[in-house]
Amino acid sequence: MTAPFIFSQNISLLIAVIAGLFFGLFLERGGLGNPHKLTGVFYLTDFTVPKVMFTAILVAASGLYLLSDLRLLDMDRVWLVPTFFWPQIVGGALFGIGFVVSGYCPGTAVAGFASGRLDAVVTMTGIGAGSLLFAVLYPYSESFCISSAMEGATLPKLLRINHWFVIVFLIIFAGGMFYLMEKYEKRGS
Amino acid sequence: MVKNNFWSPYIAGIGLGLTLLATFYIAGWGLGASSAFSLLTGVGLKDVSPGYAGTLKYFSGYLNVESPLMNWVLFEVGGLFLGALAASLISGNFKFRFDKAAHMRTRTRFLTAFGGGILIGFASRLARGCTSGVALSGGAQLAVSGWIFVIAMFVSGFIIAAFFRRLWS
Repeated sequence: MTAPFIFSQNISLLIAVIAGLFFGLFLERGGLGNPHKLTGVFYLTDFTVPKVMFTAILVAASGLYLLSDLRLLDMDRVWLVPTFFWPQIVGGALFGIGFVVSGYCPGTAVAGFASGRLDAVVTMTGIGAGSLLFAVLYPYSESFCISSAMEGATLPKLLRINHWFVIVFLIIFAGGMFYLMEKYEKRGS
Repeated sequence: MVKNNFWSPYIAGIGLGLTLLATFYIAGWGLGASSAFSLLTGVGLKDVSPGYAGTLKYFSGYLNVESPLMNWVLFEVGGLFLGALAASLISGNFKFRFDKAAHMRTRTRFLTAFGGGILIGFASRLARGCTSGVALSGGAQLAVSGWIFVIAMFVSGFIIAAFFRRLWS
């Protein structure tokens, strides 16, 4: 039987909790419940966020495409994060502002709260308020929100190259970036 | 005293990447976070004002199901909280505090925490997710969504940080 698998609702929600437990464990242990570390990259004082983030993305990307190439995982049945070009550019830009201003993102705010940070609860409340604002304004933003859809868009398909070229390029790029970050952090300390 | 005895970011990143990979392999989708906030807001609004909640087309996707709270991302975020709580307690990093830059007044921090949260909540809905659901999960799939989101987020973050240096440094 090829992954992914089909489960009953109860088992599916149990898997959700277990996935979340590990997610929270690694976020907190990586220092990503701490708003000083979370915003450090934007002030060039602490590069924890890009180090954790790009390591995680590239480990998961290598594993996903390896499992797919070995026919152990049916990528056609894996839900692909959809692309809406302009909404995601604008959304990403607004998100970056909110990230620096609050010092959190949604998952890390939960991790921050779990380590006793009450300011993270304020941010979590704000995220709820922002979701409500979006839902209220949706009639006016809907046409923009669903614009520039790119069905099934991935970098290898868009560039028409093998996925391993993309992965190896990203690994080399991240490796170079990590090297410069380590050098910069040593110089500063 | 808080220890701040964190792991190497590369070790944490490998652990996070393997968690994400296992989730894709077993469940058929990645990790998320922001939609749990949107779902809870929709459910809360329906409790307070069912009539008004019913007029909001955006929330109907969450609310027009048999049991809205039996939601995968909501349970995953519940696990996230417990995992991070266990990690911070065991490592000696748990401490009640109102975290902020050293010089910042508590009232100002309240505003930055709440205002930044509003932006994050709004932006996550527009972008179909946040750093978890779009950047990490989409990035790992080499989806265009994940990478344009990451680039836009870092570019705007650097610009804002340059103009507002006193937020955190």
